[in-house]
Amino acid sequence: MDEIEAFLVREARLIDEHRYDEWMELWEDDLVYWVPCNEDEIDPGRHVSLIYDGREGLTERVWRLKGKQAHAQRPKSKLQRVVTNVVLERDEGDEVVVSSAFVLGEVRNAVQTVYLGRNVHTLIRRGGGLRMKQKKVMLLNNDAPIGNLTFLL
Amino acid sequence: MIKDLPGRTNGANPVTSLVRPGRVHGDIYTKAEIFEQELEKIFHASWLYVGHQSEVPEPGDFVLRTMGRQPVILVRGKDGVVRVLMNRCRHRGALVCEVERGNEQHFRCWYHGWTYENTGKLTHVPEEGGYPSDFPFDQYGLSQPPAVDDYRGFVFASLRAGVKPLREHIGLAAKMIDLMIDASPRGEIFLDMGCNKTTYGGNWKLVGMDGYHPNYLHVSVMIARAKREAAASGKPDAEFMNSTSWSDASSSVTRDLGNGHSMLDLMEHRLSTVDSYLTGLKKLEGGPAYVDAMFAAYGPERGRTLLAMAGDPHVGLFPNVQLINSHVRIVNPIAVDKTEIMMFPVRLGGAGDAINDNRLRKHEGFYGPAASGSPDDAEIFERTQRGLQVQINPWIELSRGMHREYVDTDGSIVGKITDEVPQRAQMKRWLELMSSDG
Repeated sequence: MDEIEAFLVREARLIDEHRYDEWMELWEDDLVYWVPCNEDEIDPGRHVSLIYDGREGLTERVWRLKGKQAHAQRPKSKLQRVVTNVVLERDEGDEVVVSSAFVLGEVRNAVQTVYLGRNVHTLIRRGGGLRMKQKKVMLLNNDAPIGNLTFLL
Repeated sequence: MIKDLPGRTNGANPVTSLVRPGRVHGDIYTKAEIFEQELEKIFHASWLYVGHQSEVPEPGDFVLRTMGRQPVILVRGKDGVVRVLMNRCRHRGALVCEVERGNEQHFRCWYHGWTYENTGKLTHVPEEGGYPSDFPFDQYGLSQPPAVDDYRGFVFASLRAGVKPLREHIGLAAKMIDLMIDASPRGEIFLDMGCNKTTYGGNWKLVGMDGYHPNYLHVSVMIARAKREAAASGKPDAEFMNSTSWSDASSSVTRDLGNGHSMLDLMEHRLSTVDSYLTGLKKLEGGPAYVDAMFAAYGPERGRTLLAMAGDPHVGLFPNVQLINSHVRIVNPIAVDKTEIMMFPVRLGGAGDAINDNRLRKHEGFYGPAASGSPDDAEIFERTQRGLQVQINPWIELSRGMHREYVDTDGSIVGKITDEVPQRAQMKRWLELMSSDG
């Protein structure tokens, strides 16, 4: 459990600090980065998501964020996440499902926005470490009009 | 320096002085008093899109919407009729429906218990003896807009009576709406896949049809697409950088369809690339069956056009609805500098799951608050809103292509894809409504 919590804290820190390449290294090849829209429990084949990235989509997302023409991240959001309420939902040895709660503060153009929500990480044990296979981010306000959400969640 | 134009709003009739041929004054995007007039003269007085019938398929199904500032319920009554009901109790004015969507036999005001059928009829008033026996309860159903109609399932309403018939209001844009609906071989679309809701700190008029910006604002998306296609083919990226689609060299055009409606007409371009598009489409599971069904339903020529357009008319109907790519978009004005957008991905009846999945994933990639396209648009609208605070040279230039636009045989005004024909169309209708009495 300590190992898992440390992983979640490190992941949060990497995205807070826009350390994209290091964050990408946390992922398995076959990945799903998912932010449901309107409700937490939806069928992504029949209901729109805010983000439903596989490897290709996420690689492109990060490539854009690293460049200078992702205008909604010029200037970049300043981010601080607090990750807590970590619960081990399932432990099948090689595959671990863990849920956590987060508070995410964002400051951009002198405006502070606070997001809250819950993550469910599906983690794979590999070579003595953990890698992300799926990250599902359930924003508390996913049924409300949302502004610029182009930083990583 | 232009000397004959006013620098700021003044005079007895400020609005008409703010729109000139090829330019508009920045005040129309920044002044709260003008925004208030827009609500009264445009949003509370002309046809607005409210929702699609497929959002309320069963009797009792409802969704909440807002017309300007006025809350309404789009509901299918127990009689199967889709209505727009004003969400306000006829007694003391509280909302009678407080959840965003659902299914109800009745709407009840929980203040004093007045209860209405899902048709709007008043059916129960607690302690009825407090009113004389001849009190006309039958006239106390939920109010309805004086004009409500639909075009092939797209429900519109006007809060003012005396507007021209809906079909006349939609005019030339009807054929464009058809392009979206008839991307289904059954002519059947469903707005039942949820809704991206976004907001930006800018005026509602900023979100329109603009064919001049993609090469600049969205260049990163274009480079990414080229890299993807290059990687798939093993050829260099540069071979796939196609910036001509959004340049004056493009066969695509802008069109003013009248009544404030306008579009980016991509048909020629899409037809020129339809073969490679269909090759890709047929690789999807259910793709060949869908293509066959389209030709069977619409014949070779129309079928080809509809397939090429892929359900994307890229049309905006003044003032609050746009049909872009695979979604229907509602524009809600909140304040002079705040707008909310709702985007409903469209599911095509008679197309396989893989095709609809693919459309949904592409939508999510570009549209919505966390995607690669819409947020950059929103960012530029916010920068525009801030920039417009500058009052030196306060006029916005919308003249691009005025010298080369022409009237097509159907009466629409046509310009190059980069021309500001749509912006002028929007402002023409805006001025017409804003200049009206009352």
